Amino acid sequence: MYEAVAAYPAGDSTVSRQARTATDYGYDGLVVRTREAEFDVDAISDRYGIDVVRGIEVDAADPESAAGAVGNHRSECSVLLVRGGTDALNRYAVETDRVDVLTRPMAGDGDFNHVLARAAATHSVHVEFDFGPVLRASGGPRVQALQGLRKLRELVEQYDAPFVVSVNADSHRQLRAPRELRAVGEQIGFTADQITAGLEAWGEIAARNRERADDRFIEPGVRRGRYEP
Amino acid sequence: MKHLPKHIRPRWRYLAVEIEAAPDADIDRGAFQRALWYAAGNLLGDVGSADADLTVFGFEYADGIGEAIVRARREETAAARAALACIDSVDHQPIGLVVRGISGTVRACEESYLRGRSPDSTEDSVAFADDQRPAICRDDVAEISLPEGFVAATELDFH
Repeated sequence: MYEAVAAYPAGDSTVSRQARTATDYGYDGLVVRTREAEFDVDAISDRYGIDVVRGIEVDAADPESAAGAVGNHRSECSVLLVRGGTDALNRYAVETDRVDVLTRPMAGDGDFNHVLARAAATHSVHVEFDFGPVLRASGGPRVQALQGLRKLRELVEQYDAPFVVSVNADSHRQLRAPRELRAVGEQIGFTADQITAGLEAWGEIAARNRERADDRFIEPGVRRGRYEP
Repeated sequence: MKHLPKHIRPRWRYLAVEIEAAPDADIDRGAFQRALWYAAGNLLGDVGSADADLTVFGFEYADGIGEAIVRARREETAAARAALACIDSVDHQPIGLVVRGISGTVRACEESYLRGRSPDSTEDSVAFADDQRPAICRDDVAEISLPEGFVAATELDFH
């Protein structure tokens, strides 16, 4: 199971500290959302035995600038995320094959519907269930976040769209263990299997993209063989 | 009041919880219990919160790390775990926590899951972000003091 986190300078903990906590909590891997974060993948995985994945979360104001950032950063990272939050950005993200994950689709003014769910399934863009507000907000904002999660869940189930689960931790103190997330998920209407699948999906995205970035990869199912020059 | 006969006494489970906070955070048992009730009330509602009957039994905390034992009704351990996960801060001080395990007695809970480790943190100066900076170190982790606040790091980040 993997989790995706923000790290220093965008968050309050460095990548290695997040990795240490994630290992302790039983995660197999960590996707780093912050582009500016500096870290040594090998040193961290040697020390803590965790797979650290370079990700980039594109936070753009409109689809045009998001498209520019996606083009610039696609080759630099294993997991490319686009932060949603407006209808235009959500729509752009789910209709772009090069995007792996649409994060926080229901934040702010963002909304989701059957068209976007179908597009996400067609373009295999994972939709993120953001548990951050469920764990850290209270009152009205939390109620709205729960309403958003429910709507998103119903659409994702109906159209069989791929999804990921994350708590959007800015610091290692905001991380929660997979078992705790399953317990929270069951309280708010998810099944434990959905949460597990959502956490495992991060690892599947990373593995798929790493394979594609491999020199021997030509297209799905075709690899450069032993006898090629 | 006379205590209940054994077969109709409520059955309890004890959750071993490990707590982590900023080194300068000051958390006591009362504040943690309040945060727990508040989290349970918000997530599970009055009914679920009363069913789970969450009580902080043991509580130990010093210098940013601590341990607690939380009692819940036997049938409600999943709800208790969920409520615990929703505690993000105690007295406006952010905390991280994880359930290490669940036992049927306080003693088994302490012996199996809580390490009772001493924090023994030291104040030191470390090289981070192109400068020597004051830090509070424990094991291989450090809370580095920057102008904008503490940054949590490990030895791997010193250079």
